[in-house]
Amino acid sequence: MGTKITAIKSFLPDLLVTNEKLSEEFGRWEPEKIENKLGIKERHASSDGETAGDLAYEAAEKILTNYDRSKIDLLILCTQSPDYYLPTTACVLQSRLGLKNEVGAFDFNLGCSGYIYGLAIAKSFINSGMADVVLLITSETYTKYIHPKDLANKTIFGDGATATILERSIDEQILNFVLGTDGNGKDNLIVRNGYSRNPFDPKAKEIITGSNDIFTDNNLYMNGTEIFNFTIEAVPIAVNQCLIKNNFTMEDIDFVIFHQANKFMIDYLRKKIKIPQEKFYANMLYTGNTVSSTIPLAIEDALCNGQIKKGDKVLLCGFGVGYSWGATIVII
Amino acid sequence: MKKTDFVNELADYCEFEKEGLLVNTPLKDVEGYDSLAVMSMIAFIDEKFGLKFTAVQFEDISDCNSIIKLIGEDRFEK
Repeated sequence: MGTKITAIKSFLPDLLVTNEKLSEEFGRWEPEKIENKLGIKERHASSDGETAGDLAYEAAEKILTNYDRSKIDLLILCTQSPDYYLPTTACVLQSRLGLKNEVGAFDFNLGCSGYIYGLAIAKSFINSGMADVVLLITSETYTKYIHPKDLANKTIFGDGATATILERSIDEQILNFVLGTDGNGKDNLIVRNGYSRNPFDPKAKEIITGSNDIFTDNNLYMNGTEIFNFTIEAVPIAVNQCLIKNNFTMEDIDFVIFHQANKFMIDYLRKKIKIPQEKFYANMLYTGNTVSSTIPLAIEDALCNGQIKKGDKVLLCGFGVGYSWGATIVII
Repeated sequence: MKKTDFVNELADYCEFEKEGLLVNTPLKDVEGYDSLAVMSMIAFIDEKFGLKFTAVQFEDISDCNSIIKLIGEDRFEK
């Protein structure tokens, strides 16, 4: 017995932020330059008052339209932009989605590695007999954390949500995991203020980066150099360990999907790990980096356009804020 | 490797305008030197020399000569 993914759906908010709009607003970085380098043409942003809970709700409703929602007995939401300090957004969603009361529901706070961890949690609950059907949701509104004058981060991040249903299966379709953490990297991708350690500071000092972007400690800060260093160090090791743990070589894998951080970064990783281009997914053109949603968005898209098909072995790897990373192999 | 070849290869990789780019040209004056170019520089140095520099080390980089010093002068032809 095991666990399988039975459906994935996504939802992107209506508000579009195009490269043209950013280029015009900031007066630097031609739209083509952003597209060529980052592989992003446009990204979606949540509007004022539109929360991660709202995006999660829309993604979940898309999947539940054709699914008996009474079968769900665990709802897990991966988010770093919850609706409230408390209660847990997953509890609010249980009610909004009309799920039964006999459902476990909780949030977990992870970023770009979140989908991998979500699969690990879902598999653990199902294989241990604690749940039969899991609704795994990823949802982020990082754009709300970005300073209005921070072009670098505005070009990269977009908002969005995905919903995945996982069920018990005869054969195991979610294979072994590699999970990793290095909290020493916490300062390199962080929103410092607003929670317990440092309260929101309305008078927070504006800091100008070497690229003339502006942020305060109330905003998202990303040290791109250190994040890139971390990624090129951790990801090749995680991929290799994942293959070893599952007794596969790269030749056994039909397709590889990494967290869609940006095109340059994942192309570099692909070359460094020597993954054939035809086996590799790289498309964030119309979504940008949607944090924990990039991998399920990619699976949904790759299934839709025929890049992957039923029975394929797909290696997934998520990495980022924390630092946190994870990899696994799923059989579609 | 000759320092001039390094400068040319770096310029190609980072998509800098090569004309007039010398080892001592201040990078802040180079068309296209921004946070996207820094990402390319990290990749280039990792690929070519198997080295990684911290963000603090990168902050001290002012021209190609300072990159060469970080990599190690002994790896270049005199």
